[in-house]
Amino acid sequence: MAKSDGCVHILQGLLVFGNVVIGMCGIALTAECIYFVSNPHGLYPLLKATENNDIYAAAWIGIFVGLALFALSILGIIGVIKASRTLLLVYIILMLITFAFEMASCITAATHRDSLTPNVFLKQMLERYQKSEPANNSDKELTKTWDELMLQNHCCGVLGPSDWQEYTSAFRLTHNDADYPWPRKCCVLNAQGLPINLDGCKLGVPGYYNSNGCYDAISGPVNTHAWGVAWFGFAILCWTFCVLLGTMFYWSGIEY
Amino acid sequence: TMFPLLLLLLPAAHAIVELQYKPALIQTPPLEGLTTASTFVLDQPRCVFEKYGNADIWLVVALDKAASTFNNTDAPGTPETAFQGFPDRVPAYMTLNATLANYPCPKRDGDITVLRVGSETSCAQDEERPTCNGPLPGPGPYRVKFLALQGSEPVAETAWSLPITLRTAKSPSSISTTDSRHSAGMIAITTILSILFAILLAGLVAMLVFWGSDSCGGSSTFSKPESVSVRRYNTHHVYDQPAARL
Repeated sequence: MAKSDGCVHILQGLLVFGNVVIGMCGIALTAECIYFVSNPHGLYPLLKATENNDIYAAAWIGIFVGLALFALSILGIIGVIKASRTLLLVYIILMLITFAFEMASCITAATHRDSLTPNVFLKQMLERYQKSEPANNSDKELTKTWDELMLQNHCCGVLGPSDWQEYTSAFRLTHNDADYPWPRKCCVLNAQGLPINLDGCKLGVPGYYNSNGCYDAISGPVNTHAWGVAWFGFAILCWTFCVLLGTMFYWSGIEY
Repeated sequence: TMFPLLLLLLPAAHAIVELQYKPALIQTPPLEGLTTASTFVLDQPRCVFEKYGNADIWLVVALDKAASTFNNTDAPGTPETAFQGFPDRVPAYMTLNATLANYPCPKRDGDITVLRVGSETSCAQDEERPTCNGPLPGPGPYRVKFLALQGSEPVAETAWSLPITLRTAKSPSSISTTDSRHSAGMIAITTILSILFAILLAGLVAMLVFWGSDSCGGSSTFSKPESVSVRRYNTHHVYDQPAARL
């Protein structure tokens, strides 16, 4: 019995360690998801306009799953030390429910990230940027977001200024092609917010306009967000899987 | 003898010099707005009209198929060459009036010398401004040439340019947004997590089915902290036997 006592203690130690790691990872997941939900790059209006902001839903689920993991890990530690069958059964069942939610969150984040191609943003920008009547609130938000995006990242359009030339757009309806081949925000601006050389910008002379597209500036943060939620969640679930298997093994060996 | 000489000189005096220069879109530096839906950018005719210091140099713009109908004697600023009538009533219009002073030769290095055709939007509807450099009404194709007029006499012209076609914009509803591929990462996450979840559910079912069955508890059973002690019972029988033998 001494040998099996040693085995018991090792298994208990491993399970407690596993639960501690789960608890810490739960807190980390909550923190990461709160960061994403707080919209640090100001891209939320763009995603909301695609009617596909499930990446945000995945982050919201992640916040609650993280807290649940933390709480359940404490329950798990208590159950392992006391070797109580009921506590551990409750722990296992609740952990499985949390596992299912987190799995949904990871898969949602990954799937919806894949659906955010450049064409989605291009179509949305052409149809809604600077849309005149009727313009609802989300159109105005979208225009504001694009203006800030183009100003801060020194970029124009989704793939380049030629987006405005290759396609007709809501912008083109109110701004004629000769005066505004592309929006004024695509020009290099001085400190007062005016183009440094308007003719150079209209002609497309290198140095007076921004020639690269904004897709990189959008996809960078969106990728970080989606893969952060998806892959970190995946890692936590793999670890949780091992701990749960160990707990099931431990549970079935407890005398009652 | 004077009379034949005069006759010889007259056609020479009225002949327009055909310059070898062909107007073209500007090549360097590469401009993003070289052609838009209603404008295009030509290279300035530098070092071309050197002999015509007194002349007015006009740009003639015509649709490709109407270029041959343009008559050099048509005067600029008249309804026959007014921009506002182009292209329905007027086959070719004249605009961008300049003199040799506007096109100094040789070109200074580093200068971008362009003529943007179609840049004046304010006078596009103004009939009082027939020489307006207004935005072009369609994708073309267009041909252009330069014409030098001294007074109202045409004295020199360049060749017609190659046909210039402008950009046509497509509708954004033609952009397809449904062809998104599933990335490898998403497929990996989905399959692996589904398998793990299935194993855990199977484990849970196994646990519940064999609840209370000691035989399937694994290789060893773990005792709880308060262990149950086993007591041995000895019967009278066992202790009496050795005494009986003695």
